[in-house]
Amino acid sequence: MSRSSINKKAKLTLKGLLLANPWGFVIPVILGVIASLTGVGLLGLSGWFISATGLATAIGTGLTFNYLTPGAIVRGLAIFRTAGRYGEQVTAHNHLLGLLRILRLWVWDQRVAKDAANLHEQSRGDLLQRLVSDLDQIIRWPLVVFLPWLYALLSYAAVAILAYIILPNLLWPLAIAAVCHVIVIPYVCGRFASHSVHVAQTLGVHRRSRFISVFSALITLTIRGHWKDYAARLNQLDDRQRRMEIITQNAVSTGRLLGYIVTIGLLFSCFYLVSNYSDVTQSWTLADGVHGTWFVGFILSLLAVNELVLPLVQSFVAQGQSQVGLRRLNQLSQNVTPQESVDQVITPQKANQTQTTVHTMEFKQFRGFHSPSNMGNQAIDLAIKTNDTIWIRGESGSGKSTLLAAIAGDCLSEGEAVINGEEQSIYDNSDYQSALSYLPQSPYIFQQSVGANLRLGNPNATDEQMLAVLKAVALDSWINDLPNGLATLLSSQGRNLSGGQRKRLALARLLLRQSPVLLLDEPFDGLDKATIEVICQSLQNDYKPKILVLVSHIESRLGDDSRIIELF
Amino acid sequence: MTKHKEAKKAGRAGRVKTPEALFLGELANQQSSKYRLAQGFGVLFAVSLVLQAWALANVFSDMALHQTFSLSLLVMGLFALLLRALANFARERVCTSASRDIRYGLRRKLVSHLTKLGPARLRIEEDAALSTRVYEQVDALDDFFSRYKPQVFMVTLIPCVILMSVISVSWIAFFIFMMTAPLVIVFMIFVGHKAAQANRRQFSVLAMLSNQFMDLSQGLAELKRLNRTDEARERLSTSASAYQKTTMNVLYLAFLSTATLELFASLSIAMIALYLGLGLLEILPWQVGSSPVTLTQAMFLLLLAPEFYLPLRQLGNDYHAKQKAEAAATDLLEIVNTPVSMSAQHQAADSVDTDSTASNRTRFISFQNLSWSEAGRHRLSPITAEIAQGERVWLSGESGVGKSSLLHLLLGFEENYQGAFFVNGTPFNAMKLDEWRKSLAWLPQTPEWVNGSIRRNLLLGIESPSEDVIQAALAKSQCDDFIQGLPSGLDTKITELGAGLSGGQMQRLSITRALLSNADVWLLDEPCSGLDEETAQAVLTTLDQASEGKTLLIVSHDTHPIAWADKHWSLSTGGLHQ
Repeated sequence: MSRSSINKKAKLTLKGLLLANPWGFVIPVILGVIASLTGVGLLGLSGWFISATGLATAIGTGLTFNYLTPGAIVRGLAIFRTAGRYGEQVTAHNHLLGLLRILRLWVWDQRVAKDAANLHEQSRGDLLQRLVSDLDQIIRWPLVVFLPWLYALLSYAAVAILAYIILPNLLWPLAIAAVCHVIVIPYVCGRFASHSVHVAQTLGVHRRSRFISVFSALITLTIRGHWKDYAARLNQLDDRQRRMEIITQNAVSTGRLLGYIVTIGLLFSCFYLVSNYSDVTQSWTLADGVHGTWFVGFILSLLAVNELVLPLVQSFVAQGQSQVGLRRLNQLSQNVTPQESVDQVITPQKANQTQTTVHTMEFKQFRGFHSPSNMGNQAIDLAIKTNDTIWIRGESGSGKSTLLAAIAGDCLSEGEAVINGEEQSIYDNSDYQSALSYLPQSPYIFQQSVGANLRLGNPNATDEQMLAVLKAVALDSWINDLPNGLATLLSSQGRNLSGGQRKRLALARLLLRQSPVLLLDEPFDGLDKATIEVICQSLQNDYKPKILVLVSHIESRLGDDSRIIELF
Repeated sequence: MTKHKEAKKAGRAGRVKTPEALFLGELANQQSSKYRLAQGFGVLFAVSLVLQAWALANVFSDMALHQTFSLSLLVMGLFALLLRALANFARERVCTSASRDIRYGLRRKLVSHLTKLGPARLRIEEDAALSTRVYEQVDALDDFFSRYKPQVFMVTLIPCVILMSVISVSWIAFFIFMMTAPLVIVFMIFVGHKAAQANRRQFSVLAMLSNQFMDLSQGLAELKRLNRTDEARERLSTSASAYQKTTMNVLYLAFLSTATLELFASLSIAMIALYLGLGLLEILPWQVGSSPVTLTQAMFLLLLAPEFYLPLRQLGNDYHAKQKAEAAATDLLEIVNTPVSMSAQHQAADSVDTDSTASNRTRFISFQNLSWSEAGRHRLSPITAEIAQGERVWLSGESGVGKSSLLHLLLGFEENYQGAFFVNGTPFNAMKLDEWRKSLAWLPQTPEWVNGSIRRNLLLGIESPSEDVIQAALAKSQCDDFIQGLPSGLDTKITELGAGLSGGQMQRLSITRALLSNADVWLLDEPCSGLDEETAQAVLTTLDQASEGKTLLIVSHDTHPIAWADKHWSLSTGGLHQ
């Protein structure tokens, strides 16, 4: 990463993408240039060779003609072209995969730097899915847009040398055609179609969210007899998308046709420049000093260049798509507030090493709320010290969970928070958060093994420790029944676990952290009495935290010797 | 050559076609006329290709030998090039339009199919994932239909045309092409088979990588709380590097197939150039002193040589399009193959039982030996029961016993049931579904909301009632308090509420909606299962007060008993117990 110019705070640009790993990029570029130039050279040289041999025989110098050198060069070019193309593809894809890694880590860093409330918003499955496909789109940019452009440019340069040798005047049409092919046509087609490419991309997102919104209310809409209107609007969006697609595709096809026409014009003007009409023979004769054999080679090279130029037209579509993707990705970083404690996040910080201990927590006129609905709990005063157990109760909708999330620094809050006698801003404060373990209402279970999920709590936990902690949350019989035990892979989002099991597994993970403060949101929901008893037993003995704050509507032994906070 | 190809084709057809290939083939057949047109342009393209080569070869040889050229031939050559460009342009437009028609048609079909599936669609996937299939996966077919499919024809056509035109010029060149062409094909099959496997593996490896990234990203909040983001980053980084290595091993092989083609294309140009050069010098070992071809013919052959392999190379480049399309087809087939049980709907209109006395009877629903099985599996065991008008029934039972299926039957989404099922004495399949549905209110586990304000959602599909009516309904479902607490009240956008609105509040709003719709029959599918016990009780109490006088069927687990229900049905695989 140190070499890369895509650093954590910078915005993503296409240029930055090229320079992300410059040395990894040099090899495919060189190989690709070799392959393209030898491809052009092969055809040009072959044309010259054949016409030269034909001429040699015709004028009787055939027997002295040195055919070995050009023959060897022709074979060499053929091999270089193959090897170059193969090498280019392999190294370019290697580079591309490397780029994918760098970009994913960049996205990761941006998201890590996000504060908790914004993070939730982005964690929705479909948004992330879009992010992933954006990344795949963007990394193709160098391969699909930049490299073909470079090859076309360099081939033109190479042919220009030949043109200069034959007749310097040929440079004029060549330069004009090059400008048309490499810059004007892609640019004009790009301008013409970029709007529809962008609209199509935006429509795609819009259409998708519309689909989800409408389908999630499918039954209600159907029984109200309104489904048809909504489905029709969905179709309208689809039709608009289709119109955009037509514009884009027509622009590509037309661009390619224009490319051909420019080539035809170029060929014609080249022929015109090198020849004169002679009235005597009533035919066109090549100008003095122009060798027919060389000129044949030149024309054949131009035909080869034409093949290299044609894909350029298409590249503007890829260009447009990459730009839209890039803009969306950059939105990730824009929302990061400047005074964000980015450095804290970046410096490796092992929870166990720098663990601060919390002795007292005091909250004055403290209130957690969600933005922008501003819903949350009534402001309260609360003082907690070591060895306290607090039980927060209240009606549904009284903001119990919000208050707990705010205490955990996971949710926006107002009022004063005094930790260890010092007033702190606890929201998204990673120093403070490293001292506490917070079990949210629906914790996340990773698609890894049971053991790996637990080790997120404590990377050094032994198998014995893990089994012990599973026993503490009454998951011992569950783990013993699994044929692979701790190595059992859990499916996506722990879908093969019941809600209660998921929560207990997350609790076990937290208990392994052994942090002084434990905040639990409805840990007993959906559990039977015996299981609740086991968990209470563990929390009061082996895994007793210094401070325990509990949100629950279920009576338990933990509640008996706790201070009760009633929310209204 | 042609025979060879045909034999190949026959061999391929003899193999069992995968359902994906069949599916894609069927879709392509819908646009067969457009594809035929494209093939016509392809023939034009091939002919102008040969014409161009012939005209330019004449111009070139005259230039080399006599330093002059014939203007008419040059114009003809360039005109042929223009013709080629135009044919290509037309072919592209026809193919892209065929692809568009196929894709947009398919998408409409999928959306309407999903609509008909109703609640059964969730057996395939959740909505967000379905939207990926309907949009992204359908678009993933584009390259296949617009490029790969027509290119398959060009691959046969162009070499054949070139071979035919070459045969009259030079037997040797003909044999060089003939020798290399099957070699290319054999190599393509040999390497291509391996490459296809490799490609598939790369596909799944990349999918795994994305999956890991998704998983870790979704749980990022959790990782932050655990202070383990750096470890996760490390994990992402190392696994990406590891995947890069393994994927590269796969790609080395995959690109070999392209490289082979490239090699043959390059070598045959070189071979033909050398052979022709030596031939023109009259020093070919077996033909010293005479030339097998004239310079014009030599030029003609040289110009055609690169074109001979070009279509095959393009096909090689588009090979991933096929891969992508087949992967997408797998997902799409799953939707298409989920049967819709709507067979009874057509008869409904014909056999409407216009028994005027029926509508005067008290409204009631009765099931007689009603059961429903799908693909040999019982979704609902035979039941016989009745619900009187205004009666409130609690339906309980283990999961998978068919409680939800019964509700779906009542909603009119599953009509392939066995036994009989009457509403007001009319057989259900003879009823006008639209009218029946209008009398229903539906309250599922997760309330159904569209994007928009609370007001819009409450009034979804009904005439806008007066503000008083709305307020009364809100009060009756005990939503008035928290709605007033919202900054913009009823006009708050549902999506903006996000985490702020609790599950209980969402269900209460559903009750408001049911009240406003004036529906007589309320169907509830575990409205309390996502709620904690206390909230659930409160919601049930509200429900009790709000649903007075309505006919109501509520599915609820034994953990949330419905004390105020008039009847309690307990459903099991053995049947219904009252």
